Amino acid sequence: MRWLDILRMRLRSLFQRDSVERELDEELRFHLDLQVQQNIAAGMQPAEAGSAALRQFGHPTQRQEECRDARRTRMIEDFFEDLRYALRGLRRDRFLAFAATATLAISIGANTTVFSMADSILIRPLPYPGADRVDWISERSGPVQEDIATAQDYYRIREQNRIFEEVAAFLPSTANRTGVAQPEQLDVASVSASFFRAMASEPLMGRYLAREEEGTKAPPVAVLSYAFWRNRLGSDPHILGKAIALDRRPYAVVGVMPQGFDFPRGAQIWMPLQMDEASERPIRANTMFRIVEIVARRRQRVTAQQADTEMQRLTFAIRADYPKVFASRGFRSDLSIAATPLQQHLTGQLRPALMMLSGAVGLVLLIACVNLANLLLARAGSRQRELAVRLALGSGRGRVIRQVLTESLVLALPCGLAGIAIAWIAVRALNAFKPSVLIAYPAIAMDPRVLVFTAALTFATAILFGMAPALSAARISIQEVLKAAGQTHSMGRSAARVRKLLVVAELGVSLVLLIGAGLLARSFLALAHTEIGFSTDHLLTFRTSQVGSTSFEGRARFYRNVLDEVKQIPLARSAALVSYMPFQDTFDRSGRVQVVGHEPIPFLQRPRADNTLVSAEFFQTLKVPLRSGRVFDARDSDQSAAAVVVNEAFASQILPGEDPLGRSIVFGPDRDRNTPWTIIGVVGNIRDGALGSPIRPEMYRCICQGLPFFGGWFVIRTAGDPRAAIRAVEARVRNFDRDQSIFDVKTMDERRDEALAPQRFQLLLIGIFAGIAILLATAGVYGVMSYLVARRTREIGIRVAMGARPADVLAMVMGESALLVVAAIISGLGGAWALTRYVRSMLFGVTELDASTFVLAPVALAMVVMVACLGPARRAVRVDPMTALREE
Amino acid sequence: MSRPTDLVQGTLDLLILKTLALEPMHGWAIAQRIQQLSNEVLQVQQGSLYPALHRLEQQAWIRAEWGESDNNRRAKYYSLTRAGRRQLEHETDSWERLSGAISAIVRA
Repeated sequence: MRWLDILRMRLRSLFQRDSVERELDEELRFHLDLQVQQNIAAGMQPAEAGSAALRQFGHPTQRQEECRDARRTRMIEDFFEDLRYALRGLRRDRFLAFAATATLAISIGANTTVFSMADSILIRPLPYPGADRVDWISERSGPVQEDIATAQDYYRIREQNRIFEEVAAFLPSTANRTGVAQPEQLDVASVSASFFRAMASEPLMGRYLAREEEGTKAPPVAVLSYAFWRNRLGSDPHILGKAIALDRRPYAVVGVMPQGFDFPRGAQIWMPLQMDEASERPIRANTMFRIVEIVARRRQRVTAQQADTEMQRLTFAIRADYPKVFASRGFRSDLSIAATPLQQHLTGQLRPALMMLSGAVGLVLLIACVNLANLLLARAGSRQRELAVRLALGSGRGRVIRQVLTESLVLALPCGLAGIAIAWIAVRALNAFKPSVLIAYPAIAMDPRVLVFTAALTFATAILFGMAPALSAARISIQEVLKAAGQTHSMGRSAARVRKLLVVAELGVSLVLLIGAGLLARSFLALAHTEIGFSTDHLLTFRTSQVGSTSFEGRARFYRNVLDEVKQIPLARSAALVSYMPFQDTFDRSGRVQVVGHEPIPFLQRPRADNTLVSAEFFQTLKVPLRSGRVFDARDSDQSAAAVVVNEAFASQILPGEDPLGRSIVFGPDRDRNTPWTIIGVVGNIRDGALGSPIRPEMYRCICQGLPFFGGWFVIRTAGDPRAAIRAVEARVRNFDRDQSIFDVKTMDERRDEALAPQRFQLLLIGIFAGIAILLATAGVYGVMSYLVARRTREIGIRVAMGARPADVLAMVMGESALLVVAAIISGLGGAWALTRYVRSMLFGVTELDASTFVLAPVALAMVVMVACLGPARRAVRVDPMTALREE
Repeated sequence: MSRPTDLVQGTLDLLILKTLALEPMHGWAIAQRIQQLSNEVLQVQQGSLYPALHRLEQQAWIRAEWGESDNNRRAKYYSLTRAGRRQLEHETDSWERLSGAISAIVRA
C-alpha cells in the first residue's frame, strides 16, 4: 500500500505543518549537536567546534528549505500563501476588485445567455432524425413574393425531383373538439401520408398514416401529439382504436407521436390531407388552387449545391406548365421554387435580431476584456516596485510569476462563478417568463461551449494582463526600479499610453453600441407612434369557427347569427365581422384592379389592391373615419348593386386626381363576365399589416351583399373594459351551439402591443448592453484619469507652486480627458458607420446613418465621460504644493 | 590520503537504502556508516543527506520513527519499508549493470 503511505505523508505535510516543521528542526539540531560533540572529541575548542559543525553542515535554513522541497507539497503551500496575500491585496484595492468582478461576471453572464439563446433557436438541430436533410419547399410568385405552394406543384415536385426521398404536403388548420364538456379549438395539421416519413419520426405507439388513408375517400383517422395525449386524454394506454370527436365527426386514433415532435409547430393532431389527386392534379383555369405547404427529405449526401441546381431545374419544368392554360394572364409565369433547410425556415424571423444581439453582446465582452486589462495594468504600476523588492530579497522569478498568476486567478475565479450564476438565472428567467417573441421557439438551454469560451476568454485576459507586471518584472533590472525609488508609478510613459489607448478603444466600442441602441430606440418610437387609422381602445376581438363547416351559405348564416347574438350583449356598443385582423401578418390577399372606363391594362401590369370582407358595422365599430361618400348600410343587400368602399391610398394611387365616388372597378382574373364594383365611399387608411409595413390600397366589400365569407374575426366595441365582456361572449356563442368554442380572444390593445413585442425585446436587450458598455467604459475612464492625475501629482504641485490657478489645473486634466473622448468619438463614429448597415432591416422610420442619433450619442458619451473625470479633476485641483513636493 | 570522492549523482539514494537494510538508524549514523563502510573513500555531503532522506520518506521507501538515541536524546530513526526493499533490489541491479558496463569499458 505504498500509495496510501505516500498520501498519508502528503496530507501530514499539508495539514500538520507545524509539527512537521518542529520535527525537522529537532532532527537537524540533533545532527549538529552530534557533529559538535565529535569535533570536541577530536580536540577542538567548544566555540570552534560549533562553527566548524555549521560549516560542514551548511546554512540550516537553506537545508530546511531543501527538506521542505523534498515534501512535494511546496506548490500547494505556496499557493495558499499567495492566496492569502492576494486576498489581502484585493481587500486593499476594493474598487478594482469590485469593478473587475462586476465586469467579468456581467460579460460572461450576458454572453452566455445571448449565445445560448442563439444556439438554442438557430443552431441546435431540430429534434427529428437527420433534421438537416429536411427542406422547406417554398414557391414564390407575384410581386409581393409570397410563399405559396399549390397542390398542383406538390404533385409535380414529388414526381419530377431527383434528389428527395420523400416529399410531403401538409396544411395547418384548426378543428373543434366536440362531445366534451369544454369544447375547445385545436391546432391540427392535415398531412399527406408521406409526411411522417419525410420527418423520419417513428410514432411513440401505433402507426402513422398509411398511403391509402390519403385523399378524399380517406377514413377519419388521427395521430395525436404527445402533449395532447397526456394532457387531454390522461396518457390513456389503450387509446389506439378509440375515437375522438372533431367537428362532431369521430376520428379513430391510429398513433401517438413521441414527445418533442412538434411540426408544424403547435399541432395537436395530424389527420389525412383530403386531396383528390385526380381533380387537383391538372392545372385548369377554372379550378381553385389548393394552397399547401411542402417539406421534403433530401437523399443522403445530396449537397446544397445539388439541391439548388435541382430546384432551378424544377422551377423551369413546372413554370412551363402554366402558360399552356394561362397564356394571356401570365399567371405564375414568374414562379420560382426554392428549398431552404427547415430550421432556417422556422427561425428566419428571429435570425437577424439574434445575430444583432450576438454582435452587441460580443462588443460588450470586448469592452469588458479591455476594461479588465486596464484595471489590471493600473494595479501593475503600483506592483512594479514591490516585485522588484521581492526579487532583490531572493525570490525566484518563477516564484514571482506564480504569485501574480495566483492573484489573477483569485480575481477571475469568483467572477467566473458569478458569471455562470448570472447566465443560469437569466436563461431560467427567459424560459419562465417567455417573452412573446420567443414563445414559438424551443426552450433555451445553456450552451456549455459558450460558457467555456467566454469564461476562458475573460480568464485569459485576466491572466495575461495580470501577468504583465510579473513578466516585465522578470525582465527589468532590479536596480533600475529600486533606484527610481521616489517615483511611485514607475511604469512610465509607455504604460500610460497603452492605458489611454485601451480607454479610447473601450469608449469607441461603447459609442457603437450606444448608436445602435439609439437607432433601435428611434425605430421603436416611430413604430409605437405609427398612425393606426382607428382607435384600438375598448375593442374585444375573437374568432370562432363553425363546427362541421358546410356550404358557403351555411357558413354565412352561421357568422351572421353569431354576430346577431354578440350584439345582444349588454356591454357591446357595436360588433362587426372582418376577414382580416389588423396587426396580423398573413397571406397576400391582394388582387389586380382595373378601373372601368380607363384604358385596359394587361393583367400583369394592373395595380394591386388588398381585398377585405367586412360586415356593415365594421367602420363604425373600429371608428375608421369616413372621408367622402358613405359606408355600407341597410341599402346594401344581395339584391342591390355591387358596392365597394376604398381607402385613401386606393383613391390616391389608383384613381389619382379623380373623384373616386361612383367609379366602377373590376377585380381579380378576367372572366367572361366580371362584376363591376361601384365605389360608394372613401375611408381613412388603416395600417393593418405588420406595424412597419407600408400602407397599401385596400378595398372593402360587405358580406351583407351575400359574398362567401370563409372565416375571420369578430370585433366588439364595448362600454368599459373589453375583457369584462369575454364571459358574456362565450355564453352567447355556447348558447348558439353548445359544441362551439371561441379562441384567439384578445383586446385590440393587446394585439397592438404584441405587434411591438419583437422590437421591444430587441430594444430592451440592446439598451441593457449599451448601458453596461457605457458603465464599463466610464469606470475605465475614471480609473485612467485617476491614475494620470496621481502620476502627475508632483508636476501639478510644481505648477501650482509656480502660480498656476485651479482653473489652469482643471483645464489641464479636463483637456486630457477631452482628447481621449475626441479620439474615442472619431473611432466610434467610424465603427458605427461601418456596422449600422447590418441593422438596416430592423430599422423603421430612421436610416442607419440617422443624423440626430449620430450627433446625440457622442454628446451623451462625452457628457458621461466628463462627469466621470470630475473626481480625478477635483483631486488635481486640490493638490497642495507643499504636500505634493514633500511626498516624494 | 586523497580527498574523499563526491558521490555520483543519484547514488546517495542507493547508499542510504543499503545502509538502512542492515538496521534502522538516524541521519548522523547513516552518514558515519557510509563513510566507514567505504573505507573513508565516500563522504556524504551532510547538507544533501537530509533532503535525500526526506525525499525517500516521501516516496514511502523509508519510514521514520522517533526513538531514544545512545545518549538518551530523542532522535529520528529511519527504517526500510517493504517498498524500499524492492527499490533497493532494483537500484542495486541497475547499479551493477552500470558499474559493470563502465568497468568493461575502462578495462578494455
